[in-house]
This record gives sequence, C-alpha cells and structure tokens, in this order.
Amino acid sequence: MSQAIEIRRRRRWFGGREGAQKRFVAGVTLPAIAFMLVFSLLPIVWAFALAFFDFSPRRAGTPFLGLGGNNPFVGLEHFRQMLDTSTGQSVQVSQFHTALKVTLAFAFLVVPLNLAITLPLAAMIESVHERVKPVFRTVFFLPVLASSVGVAIIWVFVLHPQNGLLNGIIRAFTGKTTQIGWITDARLVFLGIPVALIAVIVAYLWQDIGYNLVIFIAALQAIPQSVKDAARVDGASAWQTFRHITLPLLMPTILLTSILTMISAFQVFDLFQVMTDGGPQDQTRALSLDIYQEAFRFQKMGWAAAVSVVLFALVFVISLAQTRLLRSRWEY
Amino acid sequence: MSRRTWTMRGLTAVFAVMLLGAACTFGGDETDGDGGDGGGGTTGGGAVTLTMWAHRSKSFNQALRNSMRAYEAENPNVTIELETFDYDTLIQTLQTALPAGNAPDLIHMFGTWTCSYADFLTTVPDDVITLADAQQVFFPGPLGGFTCGDALYGLPEESNVEYGATLVNTAMADAAGVVADGWASWDEFIADAKKMTVIQDGAITRAGYHFTAGDGLAHSFLSLIVQGGGNYLNEDGTAFTLNTPEGERALTLLKSMVDEQIIDPVIYNDEQNWVGDCYFIELCAMGVVGPWAVADYKDDYPEVAANTIYLELPPLEDSKAFIADSGWGISVSTDSPNADVAWDFASFAALDPENAAAWNLTSGTLPALVENGEGAARDQLVSAFPYFETWFTILPNAQFVGQLPDRDRLYYEIIYNHGLAAFQGLETVEEALQAMESEANDTFG
Repeated sequence: MSQAIEIRRRRRWFGGREGAQKRFVAGVTLPAIAFMLVFSLLPIVWAFALAFFDFSPRRAGTPFLGLGGNNPFVGLEHFRQMLDTSTGQSVQVSQFHTALKVTLAFAFLVVPLNLAITLPLAAMIESVHERVKPVFRTVFFLPVLASSVGVAIIWVFVLHPQNGLLNGIIRAFTGKTTQIGWITDARLVFLGIPVALIAVIVAYLWQDIGYNLVIFIAALQAIPQSVKDAARVDGASAWQTFRHITLPLLMPTILLTSILTMISAFQVFDLFQVMTDGGPQDQTRALSLDIYQEAFRFQKMGWAAAVSVVLFALVFVISLAQTRLLRSRWEY
Repeated sequence: MSRRTWTMRGLTAVFAVMLLGAACTFGGDETDGDGGDGGGGTTGGGAVTLTMWAHRSKSFNQALRNSMRAYEAENPNVTIELETFDYDTLIQTLQTALPAGNAPDLIHMFGTWTCSYADFLTTVPDDVITLADAQQVFFPGPLGGFTCGDALYGLPEESNVEYGATLVNTAMADAAGVVADGWASWDEFIADAKKMTVIQDGAITRAGYHFTAGDGLAHSFLSLIVQGGGNYLNEDGTAFTLNTPEGERALTLLKSMVDEQIIDPVIYNDEQNWVGDCYFIELCAMGVVGPWAVADYKDDYPEVAANTIYLELPPLEDSKAFIADSGWGISVSTDSPNADVAWDFASFAALDPENAAAWNLTSGTLPALVENGEGAARDQLVSAFPYFETWFTILPNAQFVGQLPDRDRLYYEIIYNHGLAAFQGLETVEEALQAMESEANDTFG
C-alpha cells in the first residue's frame, strides 16, 4: 500500500502532465533563481560581511576572500564610530553624518512634493477629453524614459553660471550679467535648504513625476463612476467628492507610490554624482554618493559596506512606518 | 511525443539560453577603451601580446602609442594594446582589478599611488635597473613616488609639476597694459592679475588668475607653507602641521586674491571652469597647471596656444622651493605572465633617453631622466616645445611631496573643501586651518 502511494507521489511530481509542468517551471525559474542568488543575494551577504571588517582592496588579506590579516575583523567598530558626534570625529564620520542629513532631507522633501504635484496633475489629466489624455500622459512620461545621466547633464547646462539657460533668462530680463552658481555656491540657501540640493530635487522631480502620474491616472480610472455619481446626487461639490471619496479610495495607491518614491529617493546616485559630485561643501553628499566615494575613491570598502547596511536599515524602517501610517480600510 | 511537449521543451531551452546570455553579459566590466577586459598577455609560437591601461588624455595616449609602435617595430613578435579610461574610472578599475587578479600586464601608474598598490605590482628586476642606479639616473621627485621602502615598483616617465609657474595669455596681458616678464613679489603679481580680470555688473567674467582647482589649490597652499619657512609634515612625517603661522600666511595670501576679485571660486573651481578649460576658452588670463595641459589643448586652441607663455610665480620670501607630486610612469602587475617582456618595454620607454624624451615631447611633460633635463637634450626639448623653458629653469626647486597616507583625500576633500570655504567666507582662515589639520591627521589612521 505504501509503495503504491509512493509510486503515485512520484508520478504526481515527475510523471504525466503535472510532472511536465513542474519540470517546465523548474527549468524556467532555476536560471533566474541562480542569477539572483549570484548577482543579488551574494553581493548583499558580502556587503553585510564586509561591514564588520576594516577592508581595503589595496591591502592583501588572508587567502580566505581577502578577509583578516591586513583587513582585520573590527566587529561593530564602524557602527560605533557612526554614533560619534564629538568634535574630534574623523572626516569620514563627519561626512557620514552630513550624508545622512542630506539623504533624509532629500527623501522627505521629494516624496510630499512628488505626490503634491502628481496627484492633482493626474486628476486634471483625467478631467480632459479622452483624445487629449494620451498626449499629456506621453509628454509627462517622456522624462522617465530618459537616462538619468543625460538628465543630470542637461540640468548642469541649465544651471551653469555663465552659459546656463536659467542665468541667461535672468540676464535677458534684468539686462545685467548674471553668474549665479546655483549648484556651486555654498552660500546660497533657501528656507534653510541649500539651493544646490533644491536644484537636484527639481531635476529629480522633473524626471520622476511621470512615473507616479501614470500610476495615479490608472488608479483614478479604476474608481467606479457610480460612486462619484452618488456623491453628486447627494449634493457634494467637486472638491468634496475629491476629498471624501476619491482621496480615501486612492489611499492604497498613495501608499504604494510613496513607498516606491521613498525607496527610490534614498537610492538616487547618478543625479548627485553628475550634477554636483556631492558639492558644494558636501551640501549634496547623499549616502549613496558617500558609499561610492568611500568604496571606490578612498578604497575603504569595510566602512562603505557599513554605511550601506545603515542605508538598508533606514529604507526598511521608513518603508515599514509608511505602511503602518498610510494603510487604508477603504475598499470599493 | 506531442507537439505541446516539444513546444514546452523549446520554450524552456530559449528561456534558459536568454537568462544565461544575460548573466554572462550583465556585470561585465565594460571599459570604454580600445576594447576588452584587462588580462595577461598571450604567448604562442613566440608571439606575445601585452595589455596596458592608462588614463585618458589625448597627448599622453598618443605618446604611449608612439612608444608602443616603436617597440613593436624592434620586437615584431610583441603586440601591445592600449586601453584607456577616464581618470576616475581608471582609479576604480585598478582598485577592483588588481586584488581580483584581473590586472593588465602594464599599468600607466601615477607615482604617488604606487605604494598603495605595491602588493599587486612586481618590483623592477635588477637586470633592468637597481634602485641604487635608478637614484642616479632619475630625478628624486618622480622616482620617490615609485619607491616603497627599499624596493622600486615602476619606472617614472615624467616629473609632475602643478605649481611654480603659471600660464599667461600674452594677448590679454598686452591688452591690459601688463608687461609679462615675471614678478618680484606677490603684490606685483596681484596687481597685474587684477588688470587682466574682467568684471561686469559685479560678476567676474574673466578671472585674472585661476588657482582654485583641486591640484592648483593644494600645491599652492603646501608650496607657500614651505616657501614661508614651514613644513606641512612634522619631523618624522607622522602628522600634518597645517595650522601653523606659515599655514595661516599661505591661506591668507590665497584668500587675498579672492578678496581682490582676481577669481571667484564659486564660478571657477574643479567642477566648473576647470583651469585648463578656463584658460584655453579664454575665461582666464592666467592659471596654474603643468605644461601637459598645453600639449592637450594646443591642437584644439592653436590661437590661444600661440599667445601662451609660462612665467615663474613669485616666491613668498627667498626660498623658491615648491611641492611636486611624483608623476606618471610604468608599472607591471603581478598578474602578467610576460613580466620580463613587460619590463623590457618599460625599460625601452622610460630608461632610453631618446625614447623617454620623445614621450615627454608628445605628452608635454618634463623629463624624469636627469640626462634629459640637462645639456643638449634639454635644449632640444625646449626647442621643440618652448613651453618647457620656464619649467626647466625652476625644476631644481621642486620638492617631492612625500608618501602621504591618503593623497587624494588630502588634496581634493580636505584642502580643496576647506580652502574654498575660507575663500567664500563660510569658514574663517583659522577655522579652515584647524579643520584641515585635524582631518588630514585622521588620514594616518
């Protein structure tokens, strides 16, 4: 009896149509899983391991992955140094603190600004004639398709102190030679935020709003018209309909886009590197750039790995907090 | 077997091939050089192929190619391939390739970096040249960079200079009523630079003197400390001494040039209007950068090059000493299976006076070989590249900066950032010096 059950089990797994399907799925997914293990999971594990070593590729360690020896195990020393806020802290610690502040400021400015722009814009696009909607969607989505490096180069040109478009427009209006260093003058601050950081935010928003826009448009289209008609019959104005009907029903989408935008904002690298390279005076030195420079310019891989662990933890915690705060019980 | 089964098997095979193909191409280190990854040369029937990595510079790369072709003409069984990278990419590529064992045979190495990669480089064989002999034939500055302890890890090809003399646009000088014949003091220099500065509506549209790029600022600051009778390192070289009366005097002098509106560091710096670009597109009348810049730009800006001379910068006091880095040269990686052939080429390019001089001429760099810096050889170089003349006069005053624990961080993060902060009024001179010294000493670990 048990042998018969075993034979049936084997036939279920390996024989017949079911077996063929399972083999097909395994055959298709195995390369992808192997790919992910080698090129995604393994680097993450390696980064976590490096965070506990004072590792530099310049130094030859032990034969075991180069760890140990001249690249000694330091345990939590990197993380302890990150908590050092004394005046005698090392330059890499002070740059880490600066990068942390810049990254948090960038992310917490970009997300609400992005939503504040894309949500009303999506609502406006949804209100126009059907034939015109694709035009607006395309126009706003085009920057998303552009290379970030290309976008950064364009904005560097726009903001160039001598040949830039922005100063040229100011010059045309004022008739005076204008050489404002939008991304090079550390003295320029607006509402306590360095103008150079604002410039990167503007460039990022310019490229990114199209992405959330199409998501919101799709979400708005999914809201049943009957719900809005019922509200209108009850005497609700357009604003009241939006405030009490549309917005709550969009909460799941808002949660999704805010999490995605936040995660993306924490990882922005190319805009920072090409537009400002962390300057002026580290005012745009984001964590991603800090990790890159510490790892590849100053060859402090262990420290850079520790910073990347901190960045990972930050994104994880904030995403979790967002999920808790913005979860919605509204359904339709 | 059913059609459906064949279809499923076919799809499985196609997916597997696509994913494997993606895995094989994804993560590949695509250099934007002449092609291919680095790797050792190949041998087969006596034929040897060597690979060399170098940073991307028109004049440097042309000079290297000339050396390679000349060597190949004398050694027909050897082929040398040059792969070039932009400066930052070369640094990153070396950092990953050397420990990974993927380095090329030959590396065009900046001397000041050499000791940090010494674990992955071969020492110069004694039959090529011993350290003692090298100390006789090379200038101490360039050789110093390639010497780690008692071992030599490369052969220098140039004496790098980024201070001591300045580019001067004689046409702008004439138009401003400046007689371009040198300066006895910094006051005279600043006065002339002011005349050559153009200011419109309160904005500097042409800088009189550009020194606020990373290399220019660091070399200016350190050189002025030395000229003022101080030193930027303590006696045993274990700590930086920047927050000193000499350091204050040096930084104050540099700041005074900004205060006199000879340059606006917000507009003219490392990221925008870098000194070479600035000078040759005529946004700067003078600028501190080595003669290699003329070699790089002269073909694209012949009119500016025709109006260009170098003039010696005034000393702070009696001493004319100035700080210089080591310079570019040739090293051989431990990954090379043809190290003997690689060193033979390096010796051909860097030790043979005629070949070395040809390299210097094409790249616009000062010679590392003493023989080429004196007598008839020197006269020939000056005759072929007149921009060398002033530099040869002051070269004996060059002082090797020394083996710094983290030269790039010191120059481009510490001195550059705090220097600009002081110039823009974000920090006082005292605050900037304190921060510089503290952060610089952190680099000792």
